[in-house]
Amino acid sequence: MRRGFLILLLVFVLVTFSSAERILQIWAMGEEAKNLNVMAERFMKENPGVKVEIQAIPWSAAYDKILTGIAGMQLPDLAQMGTTWMAPFGAMGVFEELSSYIRDSFISKDIFFEGSWQTVELNGGVYGIPWYVDVRVMFYRTDVLKEVGYDHAPQTWEELYDAAKKLAARGENMYAVSLLYTGVFGNEFMPFVWQAGGRIFDERGKVRVTDPEFVEAIEYYARFFWEELAPIGGGNLFQDFASGAVPIFFSGPWMVSMIDQQTPEIKGKWSVALMPKKKTRTSFVGGSNWVIFNTSKNKDLAWKFIEFMTKPENQLKWYKIVASLPAVKSVWEYPELANNPIMKVLGEQLRDAKSPPNIPQWEEIANAISRRVEEVIYKRRTPQKAAEMLKKDIEKIVR
Amino acid sequence: MGKTSSLRQVAVHGFLFVMAVAMILPFLWMISTSFKTPAEIFVLPPRWIPKDPTIENYRELFASIKFGRPFINTVIVASSITFFSLLVSSMAGYAFAKFRFKGRDKLFFLILATLMVPGQMTIIPVFLLLRQLGLLNTYAGLILPGVASAFNIFFMRQFIMSIPNELIEAAKIDGAKESFIYFCIILPLSKPALTTIAIFTFTGSWNSFLWPLIIAQDERMYTLPVAVSVLAGQYGENLGIQMAGSCIVIAPILVFFLFVQRYFIKGIALTGLKG
Amino acid sequence: MKTSWVWILTFVGPALILLMVFLIIPIFASFYLSFTDFNVFVMTDWSRAKFIGLQNFVELLKDELFWKALMNTFYCLVVAMPVTVVLSLTCAVLLNRKQTKFKNFFKVSFFLPFVTNTVAIAIVWSWILNPSYGLLNWFLSLFGVKGPNWLGDPKWAMPSVIMLVIWKAVGYNTILFLAGLQNIPDFLYEAAELDGASPWQRFWYITLPMLKPTTVFVTTMMIIGYLQLFEEPYMLTQGGPLNSTLSIVLYLYRQGFKFFKLGYASSIAVILFLMISALTLLRLKLAGRK
Repeated sequence: MRRGFLILLLVFVLVTFSSAERILQIWAMGEEAKNLNVMAERFMKENPGVKVEIQAIPWSAAYDKILTGIAGMQLPDLAQMGTTWMAPFGAMGVFEELSSYIRDSFISKDIFFEGSWQTVELNGGVYGIPWYVDVRVMFYRTDVLKEVGYDHAPQTWEELYDAAKKLAARGENMYAVSLLYTGVFGNEFMPFVWQAGGRIFDERGKVRVTDPEFVEAIEYYARFFWEELAPIGGGNLFQDFASGAVPIFFSGPWMVSMIDQQTPEIKGKWSVALMPKKKTRTSFVGGSNWVIFNTSKNKDLAWKFIEFMTKPENQLKWYKIVASLPAVKSVWEYPELANNPIMKVLGEQLRDAKSPPNIPQWEEIANAISRRVEEVIYKRRTPQKAAEMLKKDIEKIVR
Repeated sequence: MGKTSSLRQVAVHGFLFVMAVAMILPFLWMISTSFKTPAEIFVLPPRWIPKDPTIENYRELFASIKFGRPFINTVIVASSITFFSLLVSSMAGYAFAKFRFKGRDKLFFLILATLMVPGQMTIIPVFLLLRQLGLLNTYAGLILPGVASAFNIFFMRQFIMSIPNELIEAAKIDGAKESFIYFCIILPLSKPALTTIAIFTFTGSWNSFLWPLIIAQDERMYTLPVAVSVLAGQYGENLGIQMAGSCIVIAPILVFFLFVQRYFIKGIALTGLKG
Repeated sequence: MKTSWVWILTFVGPALILLMVFLIIPIFASFYLSFTDFNVFVMTDWSRAKFIGLQNFVELLKDELFWKALMNTFYCLVVAMPVTVVLSLTCAVLLNRKQTKFKNFFKVSFFLPFVTNTVAIAIVWSWILNPSYGLLNWFLSLFGVKGPNWLGDPKWAMPSVIMLVIWKAVGYNTILFLAGLQNIPDFLYEAAELDGASPWQRFWYITLPMLKPTTVFVTTMMIIGYLQLFEEPYMLTQGGPLNSTLSIVLYLYRQGFKFFKLGYASSIAVILFLMISALTLLRLKLAGRK
């Protein structure tokens, strides 16, 4: 009787330990989180004995959540990390450095878009792998633009301004472009700086916001508000785009499906185009990267998941599920992307897109930029004076 | 004498009515919008009764945002804070009102001074403290800081001071200990004050936004106000869903208040806010 | 006869411990943080924080945005407090009359704003204040008035926030005043009426003086509350436009939780605490003298 029991116990123990699961914990945000389990299922099929646990966090809470996770040392193995968040959280020293993992893998710097790779490099090391990207382009109403004599999207700064004046002249409460003017809008404003050939820091780290290119960008941006070509306050982006009151705006790929959902009546009446050209047509590239936390006990498993998600066929699969843009360049040659007119534009824009300086103080700098540009918009300061104040602000921040 | 001009009556009621309507209006708007489709929301003049009412917003909410858990969290947190605070504050209030010991009033003033400290000042150190204790992201972390309330202690002390000393003396002569006095004399006589504190505290912790936003970042630990804010972020452009979410947050507390409001108003009057 | 130590500890103990842990000690800790340069790099390694004495405070004095936040917050206090007091007192007096009907309906309506979740209300209000689609401007248009861009115009943003603050506070304070009024014995009024006093005289010579303890309580709590303005601007405008609705606590939150400059943020908190204590003590002293 006793022997039988012992054997049973032994068998039980053996069974339990042999089927011990390894659990991979992942934090993901927004729309991606909702759909990631589809990919996780496939991963689990390919890797029996592994369980993937995804915790979904809405974007509005994600920043604070990661912060408290770090402060409280309650971190998962792997997390989705917005590109502009890499630097501040990276500075807290919780990301695993990935150069050694990359050496033995098919993953390398060259398979990604340049602007995207910039976001994973911190202090000379590699601390993340791009997952998906987003890029800002011009959305416009083809029919409304035609009414004012533009059968193509405005291609240059001059054309955009000209088209805007004509659009606003249609009447009271008619505008041309929707632009941000309050809060923190560094990512929306910087493309104009880059298009003009300007930058914040130079190679030696000096602040260059008083250069004529930067000042020119401030003035160009603010002018849309001065001449009431862009509305201040109120309104609803979708309603205004659909009604034609504000027929141009700049945003990213997520808007494509949102427009179709919220205002299906304008189907076929709008399209996307590249950023307008000054010296270049540079846009802002963002997106999310994968990071492994150095507190993880499953780093190799986490890396395996990253490799899984980076495989071109899985990048394509992901695109089909969520329509977010693949970070891997080669995927763009697949017909699903190459033959889609909107994707073609996005793909082209990605080849000329930058990301803001990848330093922890970017949030504070973006705040300062927004504040000074806002002052110009509200005519409290001239562009030149605002640039000078901004220079002082930024120098103080990075001291 | 005793004759009130009807003009005066009209003026008074008119004024009060206007004020009341101003107070209620946002709620009506909110409820109405929660049943609207996106197309109807921005119509001018604003439509109070939707032509195409829909419960789609509520359905979508319960499907994608999962209010169940935050709702339960908020109930647990608010109830716990209320219960423990009632207990702790009434005990301290009793002590400061009826006990005699050196430094009693000085200690009481120290406690009172904490009322002058903005909650945000303590957020940073308490946040770090909770981190050290490993209480971040736990019910304990959400509840404990809320139990300590100088306001409640102050309020209970005022009320208990008005309980006649003769009652207590009589009980003592019969050999009663302080605990007996507390449970059998003080507490029963303090029902109005206790109810008042219960309502204030429950309402306050139910609506608390900053503390839970910072302390409970885990989706499973979200309280209702945080969940609604998160909701507002995700569905930035769909107002109908946002309004439905707001209704869900407000509904329980309104029900609670309507049910208990008579005790509450009586409670304040009985404290005799004579300083 | 002194109460025994055992009872004192049992009854005062729990409250005192909780207050020490969650209020009193954190206050001192915060005082200390304000003398360091605690920032993002220090988050995971506290030993990297350096003691820098009064440097944060010196920086604060030179900080343009801090002064702006200070002015905004006081702007709110100075406008909102008298308006709230006058409105609440008026409503309370009117509600206290024997001749007023529908008392319960009014009481409940007045309490609604306080009881409501600020998040939900702010969402409703920001849409009411919407210049194109909002309720308020539509209402004004009925009178031929073109409403301003409430939340987009730096001149009108703070008044919008103040409107919301007052709207929330009036109901609550009405009920507080109501309670105070109900404690005033009727015979005082009857005697005055017999002597031929007018309603206004009755209000001025009986009501107001008898109401003093309540008024002191209400105004003191208001000072403490309004100086800590946070939720309304956070939800409505995030401090904008042009930082016209930036409040002290909102600025503290931004520095501490967006930029991780916890040392600097703590120094803001210390200044705020000193201001509130000073104003409160002043208020109580003024009350005591009369």
